[in-house]
Amino acid sequence: MSATVSRRALLAGGGALAAAATTGVAAARILPRDMVPLVGPGYRPTDKDEVGIWQRMERVEEEIAGSNLLIKDEGLNAYLRDLIGKVGGPATRDMRIYLARIPEFNAVMFPTGFSVVFSGLLLRMRNEAQLAGVIAHESAHFLRKHQIRQWRDTRTKSDLLAIGSMVAGVAGAAGGVYTGDLARLAELGAILSVLRYNRTLEAEADAMGVRLLADAGYSPAAMHITWQQLIGELDASASYRRKRRDRNYSLFSTHPAPERRMADLRISAAEVTVPGRSYDDHRARYLQAIGGIRPMLIDDQVKLNDPGASQYIVETLAQDGWNGLLRFAEAEVWRLRNRAGDDARAAYGYAAAVRYPDAPADAWRWHGIMLQKAGRAAEARAAYQRYLTVAPNAPDAPFIRQQLQFL
Amino acid sequence: MRRLLLAASAGLALTACVQSRQYADVAFTPPQGDYRLLVMRPDVTVGSVTTGGIVEPRADWTETARANLIAALKAQQASRGGNVFILEKRDGLKDRGVEAETIAELERLHYAVGSAIALHRYAGANLPTKRGKGLDWTLGEDAVALGRKTGFDYALFLHAEDSFASTGRVALQVLGVAGCVVGFCAPNIGGGGQFAYASLVDLRTGEVVWFNVLQTGTQIAGINIGDIRKPEGAAKMVERLLDRMKPGRDVRRAMQAQDRGARQ
Repeated sequence: MSATVSRRALLAGGGALAAAATTGVAAARILPRDMVPLVGPGYRPTDKDEVGIWQRMERVEEEIAGSNLLIKDEGLNAYLRDLIGKVGGPATRDMRIYLARIPEFNAVMFPTGFSVVFSGLLLRMRNEAQLAGVIAHESAHFLRKHQIRQWRDTRTKSDLLAIGSMVAGVAGAAGGVYTGDLARLAELGAILSVLRYNRTLEAEADAMGVRLLADAGYSPAAMHITWQQLIGELDASASYRRKRRDRNYSLFSTHPAPERRMADLRISAAEVTVPGRSYDDHRARYLQAIGGIRPMLIDDQVKLNDPGASQYIVETLAQDGWNGLLRFAEAEVWRLRNRAGDDARAAYGYAAAVRYPDAPADAWRWHGIMLQKAGRAAEARAAYQRYLTVAPNAPDAPFIRQQLQFL
Repeated sequence: MRRLLLAASAGLALTACVQSRQYADVAFTPPQGDYRLLVMRPDVTVGSVTTGGIVEPRADWTETARANLIAALKAQQASRGGNVFILEKRDGLKDRGVEAETIAELERLHYAVGSAIALHRYAGANLPTKRGKGLDWTLGEDAVALGRKTGFDYALFLHAEDSFASTGRVALQVLGVAGCVVGFCAPNIGGGGQFAYASLVDLRTGEVVWFNVLQTGTQIAGINIGDIRKPEGAAKMVERLLDRMKPGRDVRRAMQAQDRGARQ
């Protein structure tokens, strides 16, 4: 950098540089066929930086493995291990998966190959293919060594930034130019470029995930349907609160915009589909695996006090057919939302829920309460009695028995 | 916790410093004689400061430092007469009937309590209810139960972090100092440092009876004060952290009164 360059010129140059770094956002779609795994079976790191990160992660995994947030259901955990075994590419035997009771739409992969799936994800997935799609995406992060590549990218950029601002400062001072503004601009450029690299990696994981999914015989279309659901849910949640979904998926975001990802995934899915091969979504197997915890999953979501999202989730799951659990959940959303007319809606909801053979015991209880409120004593009595038959050891059973005396 | 402490000490513009500050229960007497000490798995990380200033963990350095610190700790405690058992893994007390899960829970509990101590004793967020009370925190019944089951008198929790400037960071420092000649002076970009704390829990009462935080930092990359990757450095850290254990306020006052009485 020559000392004769004016400050204005320096600023303009820096601005152009930062702009160049950000316009790369509209990069081309990453092709699934280019996504070859970078690790083989039994991978162990040898580079110093990666070994250091792995060592630290061992402690993290120990902490997670012993966390009381984990859902201990052995059958379900075996099922998830099985699933990561199918879409884990060459590292299927090396990866570990933990299921945490966190009612959020998320899953994460750690650099050493263990993944944490949030219970909120199991709630939202309509079939095994969708869940396998998310797990395949997470596996791809490991197979493409994303965390260490991200770390190295950040390190290189922060190194360059430190050297650059120091050199610019010294050179500027020697030439009598103040370069503080430029340094600040360069810093912004470095941050933007780190985030952009992160978005590239997410796009890579999407592209590779869709390929792993199709290779395992799952319908590759499941992935963009998941994104469609996410967008729909965020919109529903925001619109209930009379707000707009956060659309700041631009310069400062670490993940590409959901719409963009959905569109790319749709094209990629078509690309990896082999004509004549049959793909399955294994819905029945999925429902059987999560059946035991589904009432808990729904209850956790309903209690989040996010009626827009909860209702969207219930309606999405009901696209595969209504049942007693979903009708009950819908009524619960209305009751807890408590807007004008919601008590009547909830009463109808409970009445609808108990018509299904799989209605949860609580549906009978609330049905009884609503009938009692409405003064329909005889029907309330029948509902309460049914509740006590289904759940004789419920914590509030003595209270309900007492209520029965007044009906 | 480290961030809090760094923020608290950010006002100090020393080029290189060693700081330690201890708090004790008002009725604390440093363990002497034939006591039984359980050292909970020492939490050690050593890393390298990249040119850009990020700390990158280094597995080999961490392993060496952990081994050095354990050896130094054993030597230091032996000189005080204590019987030390170092828990290197969570299931290390399984033969005495203590499950790994119990140890894990105690570690997590101590992490929460230790963070509260750091916040309310070191980071400046002082609580009026704890004023003048020395160190007034407890791990409660769980710690007492551990003591009863294993026969240990005290448990020591130890955390140590250390980082060293990489060659690039040192080069950058040289440039920063050289810049002073032309008027762009960046003589203290910072380059690594130690942060450690030790916490002593009385397993007969469950109380945290003594807590010490040690921070050595250098604002000139390339200068190190004690290097826990070497046995001498680890011994230095253990000495700085644990050797000058002071009794609690009430005990000190009683001792002073006794001294005065003896002189009169």
